[in-house]
Amino acid sequence: MSVSIQSSDWSDYSEQSHSNALGSTNAGMKLNTPLVGWAAFSATFRVMFVEEFRENLDFAKKRRILLFPLLVALVTMVATIGLQFLVGEGAAQGADTDSNSFTWDELRFALHLPLLFFSLGMGSFAFLGREKVLARTGTKNYLLASPALQPLTNPTAHFAYYVKDLTYYVMLILTPVISGMAIGILLESFTDVSTPLEYSSLPRTWVAMSVTLAQGLAFSFIASSLWLLGGWFSRLTPFFVVAIGTVIGLGLLPRQYFLWGLATQQPDGLILAIPALLASICLAWIASQLVLDDFEVKVVSKKEIFLPAWARLRFLGNGPLRLLVAKEAVDLIRSGSLKKMIVSYSVPLIVLLMMAWLVDFAEAPIPINLLSYAPFLGFFGFNFYSWLTALDSPEHMNGLPLSVPQLIRAKVTVYFLATTWISVIFLCLMAWRLDEWAVLPVGLIVMIANSIYIVCLTAFLMGLAPNKAIFDAKIMTWFWIGTVIPLLSLFLLSFTQGDVSFYENWADQVQDKGLQAEAVDFDNEKMATGFKGILAVSAGLVAAAILLMKLLDRKWGRAEFNN
Amino acid sequence: MSDSEESLVVAKDLGKRYGDFIALHPLNVKVSSGEFFGVFGPNGAGKSTFIKLLTGQLRPSIGAVEVLGINAAKSPQKLKANIGIVPESESPPSYLTPGEFLQFVGKLRGIEDLDSKVKYWMDWFGLQEKSDTMCKDLSKGQRQKVMLASAFIHEPKLLFLDEPFANLDPIYQRKCRQWLLDMVKKGGTIFLCSHVLEMAERMCNRMAIINHGKVLAAGTVKGLKESDEETLEDVFIRLVGHSIEEAERLSDEGVNEEE
Repeated sequence: MSVSIQSSDWSDYSEQSHSNALGSTNAGMKLNTPLVGWAAFSATFRVMFVEEFRENLDFAKKRRILLFPLLVALVTMVATIGLQFLVGEGAAQGADTDSNSFTWDELRFALHLPLLFFSLGMGSFAFLGREKVLARTGTKNYLLASPALQPLTNPTAHFAYYVKDLTYYVMLILTPVISGMAIGILLESFTDVSTPLEYSSLPRTWVAMSVTLAQGLAFSFIASSLWLLGGWFSRLTPFFVVAIGTVIGLGLLPRQYFLWGLATQQPDGLILAIPALLASICLAWIASQLVLDDFEVKVVSKKEIFLPAWARLRFLGNGPLRLLVAKEAVDLIRSGSLKKMIVSYSVPLIVLLMMAWLVDFAEAPIPINLLSYAPFLGFFGFNFYSWLTALDSPEHMNGLPLSVPQLIRAKVTVYFLATTWISVIFLCLMAWRLDEWAVLPVGLIVMIANSIYIVCLTAFLMGLAPNKAIFDAKIMTWFWIGTVIPLLSLFLLSFTQGDVSFYENWADQVQDKGLQAEAVDFDNEKMATGFKGILAVSAGLVAAAILLMKLLDRKWGRAEFNN
Repeated sequence: MSDSEESLVVAKDLGKRYGDFIALHPLNVKVSSGEFFGVFGPNGAGKSTFIKLLTGQLRPSIGAVEVLGINAAKSPQKLKANIGIVPESESPPSYLTPGEFLQFVGKLRGIEDLDSKVKYWMDWFGLQEKSDTMCKDLSKGQRQKVMLASAFIHEPKLLFLDEPFANLDPIYQRKCRQWLLDMVKKGGTIFLCSHVLEMAERMCNRMAIINHGKVLAAGTVKGLKESDEETLEDVFIRLVGHSIEEAERLSDEGVNEEE
């Protein structure tokens, strides 16, 4: 029975090889063999599923979490009934159905593309795992961090997490979507409504959507794993992603090549579901194998940036808002999330820019213009705000003379400081792309008003936990009502401004008709009213945002700091 | 320590650094079975880094570790399946109940008769009434009990404990202390990190004092004292206090920071 221990100075150490056994023994103990492979995956998957459900339940309460799938089913049911108008089979359609309706291929594409983007956004499991490992000594701990202490590998835990998330989304989102479609078809039997959708297509749609979901999660997972490997992988991954995006955007590859679910939904495509699912799962497995068993928490000394940040925020006064904004700014910079957040904020804006280009290119019959896009640019604030709330656990603030509304206001302020310039750049790019510089000032007003309103609405409804609130049907109903009504109003009002490229034809008309020239393509009076309407709605949104910020104290004033 | 004795823990030139910051200077250690060995030091001395390196939670920058004949860097899962670890500040997964967590860690280790063992340790720690409560809703002390139960459930012969009694009430401190002493009597081995010197006097047969990632002194509790009148606290201040003064002197002279 003994111990020997001695240390030497690092500077005295000379490199030696320790490849041989060091001579320790198990002293005759019978050693346990840790679970590996399927057994380890199965044990982990089961508890992870329970963990996910409990976490959502914890925030949203049982009644509301059950309402979420119901809400999804209801919205899908309405969409199913409205489908007849989209494909040109409804009574409301005129004779010119070709120009005002979508083909089934376009509709399928419109179903799978957003689903792919959603899954890409949710699937960066390597980043998520790293965050959980780093935060495991905090107040919340998750099974994804358990390999640090338990006989479980990071690849097994991450693969189980992928399968858990896939299963969870299929159950909570895709299955209610298909159920909603089924109810929509069922209504045909009892009411006058009709839908071109048939029961027989539902299983195929469910499988196809599951394929897209599995694919998006796997792609995002492998991109995050490669990024975390560091070195050349970190540098090459973004180039690879941009290259794929460019190839797809330029139409060099058919859509089905990058949307495996879409390929599955084509006639005779169902057979592709199995290889596509297997390919996605294999990709996710490879991604999980790339996650290293790394539980290091780097100790890095940093220069003081809190006080310099605080000093620069003089315009916020001397109260707690200035202090909290400075603290949030430090979190944003030190956590290394700023780049990731800016990229995640910019991706939907790039998609919108591409859409603007496509609509312009395809000469769509609807007079979509810069003012039609402006409200959507503001809409993407939800994502950024969600990231901001997940940066740091706010529970340490429970002991400080601060309130939750103060922290929420600080996060909203940081959101504006960090993102407004990006939105402005994108709107300018759109104005350039669509050659609609004349409406840019109004576009900026609409965009900023929407941006202010959407983030204030998110903050008001969801507080410090928007990531959990998305599964709360009650909150999402209010969010849906609160966003769709103003967005739709602005979108529809933008059409009154007509195809602003009309101005370009003005000279031609004058040349042809002389003094008889007039704006025959649209109603000037209607345009003026619409313009006032746009400004009025924007002003209303700003007023609503201010009101929501005032109401924060009533809703969150007694809440504890918790995300 | 004679070479003929069997060592459960062997580390050679084990060191850890993060850039310019040295968390643990190269260190050689051998611990044989039946030891209750304590590593003591002030906050930030390198105790937790030391224990994490020995248990495969961290990869060493230099040197190697072998525990129970298992290379800690190469087979961390196999090592973790056969030792018990109680970390300093980690909690059980927030959204599992204590019983679910114990089932999970027991299954990962391939323990037989798991249900009865889970029940036994839940009873032992008085957690039966909390069996339906998620760990996030437990008190700090109750969460610590769950972590201790997860380290004891497979009845390992080698335990690594980092501040194990933090947040435990005196009754369970005594109960755990007695259990650990009994375990050592039966041939078990315990490696303990703490800054609570009382634990050394009550439990450890050997101890080391470290600071700034270096071992300042090691030996039996009695052997470290210069006289019968000297308390362990005096020893600690004599050894560590000096190095703290040294650190403060260096700090006054200026330390370069990096961004």
